[in-house]
Amino acid sequence: MLSWIVFLPLLGVALCALLPKSQAHNAKWIALAVTVGDLVLASLMLLRFDVAASGMQFVTDRAWVPQAGIRYTMGVDGMSAPLVALSALLTLLAVVASWKIDKKPAFYFSMLLLLQVGMNGVFSALDFVLFYVFWELVLVPMYFLIAQWGGPRREYAAIKFFLYTLLGSVFMLIGIIVLRLQLDTFSLTELAKLGPTLPADVQWWLFAAFFFGFAVKVPVFPLHTWLPDAHVEAPTAGSVLLAGVLLKMGTYGFLRISLPVLPEGFASWQFAIGVIAVFSIIYGAAVSFAQTDVKKLVAYSSVSHMGFAMLGIAAGTAAGLNGAMAVNISHGLTTGMLFLMIGMVYDRTHTRQISELSGLANQMPVIAGLMAFASFASMGLPGLSGFVGEFLSLLGAWQSTALDAWLVIAAVLGVLFGAAYMLWMLQRVVMGQPSHVVADQPDASIREIATVVPLVVLIVVIGVYWDALLRFTDPAMTALAKVVGG
Amino acid sequence: MTGYALLVPELLVLIAIAWGLFSSHLPGRDRGAAYVGVVLVLVAAVAAALATAGQTLFGGALVFDETARFARVGTLVLAAVWLLWTAGRGEGRTREATALALFATMGALLMSCAADLVTIVLALELATMPAYVLVGYRRNRFTGLEGALKYFLLSLLTSLVMMYGLSFLYGVTGTTRLSEFDLSTAGTLGLLAMLLTFVGVFAKLSAAPFHYWAPDAYEGAEAWSVAFVSTVPKVAGAVVFVRLVAAIVPTAPIGATMVLIAAVASMVLGNLAALTQSDIRRMMAYSGVAHTGYLMLGAAGITAAGYGAAVFYALAYAIPSLGLMLLVAEEGVTVDDFAGFFSRRPAAAWGTVIMLASLIGIPPLVGFFGKLYVFSSALAAGLAPWVVVAVLTSVVSAAYYLRIVRSAFFAVPAQERTPLASSPAASIAILACVAATVALGLAAGPLLGWLGI
Repeated sequence: MLSWIVFLPLLGVALCALLPKSQAHNAKWIALAVTVGDLVLASLMLLRFDVAASGMQFVTDRAWVPQAGIRYTMGVDGMSAPLVALSALLTLLAVVASWKIDKKPAFYFSMLLLLQVGMNGVFSALDFVLFYVFWELVLVPMYFLIAQWGGPRREYAAIKFFLYTLLGSVFMLIGIIVLRLQLDTFSLTELAKLGPTLPADVQWWLFAAFFFGFAVKVPVFPLHTWLPDAHVEAPTAGSVLLAGVLLKMGTYGFLRISLPVLPEGFASWQFAIGVIAVFSIIYGAAVSFAQTDVKKLVAYSSVSHMGFAMLGIAAGTAAGLNGAMAVNISHGLTTGMLFLMIGMVYDRTHTRQISELSGLANQMPVIAGLMAFASFASMGLPGLSGFVGEFLSLLGAWQSTALDAWLVIAAVLGVLFGAAYMLWMLQRVVMGQPSHVVADQPDASIREIATVVPLVVLIVVIGVYWDALLRFTDPAMTALAKVVGG
Repeated sequence: MTGYALLVPELLVLIAIAWGLFSSHLPGRDRGAAYVGVVLVLVAAVAAALATAGQTLFGGALVFDETARFARVGTLVLAAVWLLWTAGRGEGRTREATALALFATMGALLMSCAADLVTIVLALELATMPAYVLVGYRRNRFTGLEGALKYFLLSLLTSLVMMYGLSFLYGVTGTTRLSEFDLSTAGTLGLLAMLLTFVGVFAKLSAAPFHYWAPDAYEGAEAWSVAFVSTVPKVAGAVVFVRLVAAIVPTAPIGATMVLIAAVASMVLGNLAALTQSDIRRMMAYSGVAHTGYLMLGAAGITAAGYGAAVFYALAYAIPSLGLMLLVAEEGVTVDDFAGFFSRRPAAAWGTVIMLASLIGIPPLVGFFGKLYVFSSALAAGLAPWVVVAVLTSVVSAAYYLRIVRSAFFAVPAQERTPLASSPAASIAILACVAATVALGLAAGPLLGWLGI
C-alpha cells in the first residue's frame, strides 16, 4: 500500500510524458486524477493506521543491492504517517492551484508529480540509502519548477537552491557511510537500536554531519539564505510544496534519524540547537518586519516558524517533540495556505509589493478574509493549528533540563514579533482604500475557494481538537523522548 | 571458457579491424564496417562475459580474473555503443575510424588483463597510438592537427617517463611480473622507480598535476573522437592503475601518499577549472581530471574493496560521459550550442539531465553508486578528511553540469537551427547510455559481485 502511495505519481509522470503535444493542456487532468488517487490512498492508510500499536506499519521489505546491504524497506509510524498525508494533500492542492498554467503544462505537471514521489518516499523509506535516494530526487523537479516557471531571477534562485541543499546532503551521505561501516546496516529501525551503543565522540561527529544535511533543509540560521530566493522566485505551487513539505523533511530527519540513532550526540548538541532555534525564531521575525514583498515576508516567517519546530526538537521532551510535529503539520497547512492566497492576489494584480496592495477587504472580501484567517493561524492564535505547536514546543522547552529559561523567554518574544509583523502586513494589505492594482479585480473563484477549504477545515480541526493530530504522533514522540532522556 | 579460448574476444575484434581495413574491397558502403564492428564487438562482449575467472595465459603475463572480465565486457560494450553512433552519423572515412577505434579497444582489452610490465607497455601503446590519429582525424583542420600533435608529443613523453620508471622497477626487483614485486628493501632507487612510474601513469589517466595536456588535446579534436578517447579506454586504464598500485604500494607505503596527493589535487583542480569553461570538450576534459581523482581516492586506501570501487567508478564515469559527448558531437561543442535543446529534442534533453545527474552523483543512478563505493572504501581506510574534500568538490561539479541543463532548458538559441536528420542507430546508441546509467544504478548489486566487493 505504501509503495502505491509513493509510486502512483510516477504513473502520472509517464502518462504526461506520453501525451502528444497537441494534448499537453490535458496534463492537468492526469495530475488531478493521480493526486486525488494518492490522497484517497493516503487517507485510507490513516484510517487503517493503528494508533495503539507501536512500531512500523504497512511495512514492505525486499533486497535491493544485497552486496552492499541496501534494502527496499518502507513503512510508517505515527511520526511519518501524518506527513505522508500532508504531502498527498498539498500536492493535490498545488495541482488545483496550478490549473491555469499554460506554459509547457505536461512538463510542469510531471515535475509536480515527480516531486510528490520524492516527498512521499522520504517519509516512507526505512532504509537509509533509500531515504537518501528520495531525499535527492526532490532536488531535480524543484530545480525545474523554480527555473522554468519562476520569477525574474528564477535561474539564479534555482541553482542556489540546488547547490545549497546538495551541499547539505552530501555531508549526510558521509554520515550514512560511516554509520554503515560502524554498525553494518542501513536499516533505520536497526540503527535506532544499535546507534546508541556508539562511542560518544563518534556520535558527536555523526550528529554534526547529519545536522548539515537536515538543518539546510529546515532551514535554520545561518543556513537559510537559499530559502527567501527560492520562495520568491518559485511559482505558487512550488512555494506551497517547498514550505509545506520540503522544509518538513529537515525536521523529520532530526526526529527520525539524528535523535533516536545518536542520543548522546544529540545530548552534546542539544543546547546549541536550542540557541540556534531561538535565534532563527527572532531573526526570521525581525527580518520579516523589513520586507516589502509579501511573499518574502512569508518566506522569512518560515525561518521563524521552523525555529519553533527546532526548539521543540532541542527540548527533547515528549511535549516538545509533539510540538515539533504539530508545528511541522500546522506550518505546512498555514504557510501553504498563505502562499496560495498570495498566488491568487498576484494572479490578479501582478505585484507582491505591500506598498502597492491595499484595500483587499473592500475589493475582494473573500480573498481578504481567507488571507486574514491564514495569517491568524500562522501567528498562533488559540483555536487554530499554529497555537498547538508553538504552545507545546514552548512548554517542552520549559520542561527540558537541557535548555535555559531565558531561551524560552526569548522564544516567547518571537511569538509576539510573529503576531506583530503579520498584523502589520494585514493592516497595510487588507485595510484601507483599494489601490489601483487592486481596484476592479474579481474576487475568488469557486476553484480557488475549493483549493483552500480543506486547509481551513484542517487548521480549525487541529486547533480545536488537538487529539486529531497528537493521537498519531504522541506514542512515537513519547518513546523518542525516553530515548533522548527528555 | 578456458585456455586460448579466453582470447576469443580479442580475435573477434581483430576480425572487425580487418574488415574495417579491407572493407573498400568488401560489400557494404563506408559505414558497413562500423555495423559489422558493432555485431562482432557485441559477440566479443558475450564471449568475454563467459570467460571463467581465475586463469592465466603466457605464464602469468595475462591474468583473467573477475576484474579483467568486468573491464573487458565494459570496454567492449562501450566500444559497441560508440561504433553504433558512428555507423549512424559517420561523416566520411568511417571505415578507417572503425579500424582505429577497434585497435585502441584491443589495446584496452589487453590492458584489462595485463599483469606484467611488458604486456602493460605493449597494451598501453596499442590503446593510445590509434587515439592520436582519431584526435587529429580532420586533416584539413588546423586546430585538430595541433591538438593531435600536442596529444602525441605529451603522451609519448609520459610513456617514456613511465617506461623509465618501469625499467627501474625491473632493475630493483629483477622481475617484470606484478605478482612478484617487492620494494621493501629497494631503498631510494625503489622510491625513484615508483615515483617515475606513477608520474607516467597519472599523466596517462590525466590526473593532476600531470593533466595539462587533456583540455588542449580534446579542444582540438572532433567531439566524436573525444567521446571515444575520453571514455572507452577509461575502465582498462583504471584496471592497470589499481594493479600497479596493488603490486607496488603494499611494500612501499609512501606510494599511498603519492596516490592520495594526486587524487586530492585532481578533484580540486579539475572541478575548479571546469567551472569556467564554455567549451564542453574542455569542461569534460577538466571534469574527467576530477573524476580520475575520485577513482584514485578509492584506490588510495590500498584495500581490495577500494580497488574494486575504483574500477566500478571508471565505468560509472564512462557510460554517461560517452552519451553526453555523443550528444555534443551532434549539437555543438559550446554550452551555448545547447540553447533551445529541450524544444528541439525533449527526449534527448531529459537523457542529458539523467546523465549529468549521474555525473553529479544523484541517486539512484550509476554515478551515485560509484561515489558511494569509493567514499565507503576511503572512509573504511581512514581517509575521512579527504572524503570531505571529495564531497565538497562534487557539489562544485554540480554547478558546471547545471550550466548545460540551464542552457538546454531555459536559454533561447541565438538563431533558429535546422533540426538534425534523424538517425536510428545514433539514437539507439545514446539511448543505450541513458538506459545503462539508470539500469546499472538500480542493479548495481550484480556488477559489484563481479568485482568481488
